[in-house]
Amino acid sequence: MNQTDFRKDIMPVLFLTIVVCIAVIALTVVDGITGEKIAENDRQKTLEGLKEMFPEMDGFDMASDIDVFIIKIGDEVVGYAFNVTAQGYGGDIGLIVGIENTTLAEDDIILRGISITKHSETPALGAEIVKPYFKDQFEGLSASEVALTKDGGQIDAITGATISSSAVSNAVHDAIIEKAELIRTTILEVE
Amino acid sequence: MNELLTIFFSMALINNFVLTKFLGLCPFFGVSKKLKSALSMGLAVIVVMMAASLVTWLLYYQLLEPNGVEYMKTVIFILVIASLVQILELTIRRTNVALYNALGIYLPLITTNCAVLGVTFLNVQEGYGFAETLVAALGAGVGFTLVLAIMSGIRERLELADTPKSFEGMPVAFLVAMLLGISFIAFGGMV
Amino acid sequence: MGDFSGNFKKGLIKSNPVLVLLLGLCPTLAVSTSLDNAFGMTAAVLFVLISANIIVSVIRKWTPDRVRIPVFIVVIASLVTIVDLTIQAFSPELSASLGIFIPLIVVNCIILGRAEAFASKNTILDSTADALGMGFGFGIAITIISFIRQLLGSGVLEAFGKKIVEVPGLVDNPMAIFLLPMGAFLVIGCLLATLRYTGVIANE
Repeated sequence: MNQTDFRKDIMPVLFLTIVVCIAVIALTVVDGITGEKIAENDRQKTLEGLKEMFPEMDGFDMASDIDVFIIKIGDEVVGYAFNVTAQGYGGDIGLIVGIENTTLAEDDIILRGISITKHSETPALGAEIVKPYFKDQFEGLSASEVALTKDGGQIDAITGATISSSAVSNAVHDAIIEKAELIRTTILEVE
Repeated sequence: MNELLTIFFSMALINNFVLTKFLGLCPFFGVSKKLKSALSMGLAVIVVMMAASLVTWLLYYQLLEPNGVEYMKTVIFILVIASLVQILELTIRRTNVALYNALGIYLPLITTNCAVLGVTFLNVQEGYGFAETLVAALGAGVGFTLVLAIMSGIRERLELADTPKSFEGMPVAFLVAMLLGISFIAFGGMV
Repeated sequence: MGDFSGNFKKGLIKSNPVLVLLLGLCPTLAVSTSLDNAFGMTAAVLFVLISANIIVSVIRKWTPDRVRIPVFIVVIASLVTIVDLTIQAFSPELSASLGIFIPLIVVNCIILGRAEAFASKNTILDSTADALGMGFGFGIAITIISFIRQLLGSGVLEAFGKKIVEVPGLVDNPMAIFLLPMGAFLVIGCLLATLRYTGVIANE
């Protein structure tokens, strides 16, 4: 390999490598700056969601092994909350679901309400799930009532957004049954 | 097995990449004038999608996630796709010159086909496992090819029809896409 | 050469990237369901387009021909990741509604197209003008489409969280089809035809 071959073959790869290195450094820096903020945003959103459903709360504990927030006033447990992800029309829908502090037997689960933390639904259609007229329907329902009216439940779907509506409704229903069982076996049994 | 079939049909028909997700539009309108080139492009896209999904899946879960650098996925994924397209181009050029000439400039264009990058992002977003990723890529590719083929068939006929001057070419193609989209909604009942 | 305003203006209408060159269709049709989306996407695309054009133009004399496409891609992908992280941190709502279309700016043919066709062969100043023109041209196109789709599809026009217009009959009975994918095709098809018919842009 003589001089010119060397230049022709190695130079391009070298150049590309340098560019990639600069890119990696730049991205690492930006990620460092924004990472904190993004995590903070998530924490804020969660807190807002909890407050929205349990306005009387003054603190909460975290049951990390089952990912449940234990909502408290002083030392008294008011209810429980947990994150739920539903498969919406445009992607994941993130929600927080709150339930009352009952025995949590299968027929004794009462919903406090839901709060939407993130979604990519279509404006004026699926995006209406954040509006009170849809969300508030969940308040005070028992587990078996959490279904669309067309499926025998109490939730009226959003006109033109049946997929988003049923995604939320089904996800909430499945989650509260699953989490109630987990809470019964891990927290309540222990206490 | 049920899961996999659902993913396949969802990607191919119900949430068709072109008509519902708006991915792969540039080649969709650019290549769809002749049925033969449409099919060749489609096949190339399926191959690239599956290969890219495989490689990016491995890279994401073996390299990026364990090291907490998920933000590098945009750069890494597109580099993987660009490299795969280069390899595919070289392979076709060496083994089947006729095919290479037929595909012409469309091959390098696969790199900028948002459907390919889109499917790799989707795989990660949905948290698919290995088998699911491959099936999703296959479904997406088949759906893309299907729509591309239908579109080119229609456009070949349209060339001979008497379209108003202002609508000739792209505008009427958009309207055809709209009608195709409407008819594909019917697939929503499949699941 | 050195025609700043010329380079800028061509991207606005005569060589509008979306309506004439037919590039960048994916994000345009996908996110044009509200004015907020349109503005957010335009801002992101402008940032990436200008930065990419400038960087590509600066390094154009040193970039070996063989690796120029991969180099452009790495530059664009990095800029897009920066934009993505920034939007996630400072405007999570915008991040959620623009969804995967922010990272997809990487394959927005407008950006790679201009880097390859213009910035790699022209001065920094010219490349900046070109980027501004193309970026605003994109903005014009996506805003018009969003305007139509949001107005007809929901009966209201909102921007930055505030209602601008509310059409009485339409609010209660909006033509939801405009917000759905097929509505997007309908709007852009008719828009293109109208623009050609009225001579604003050239016939194919």
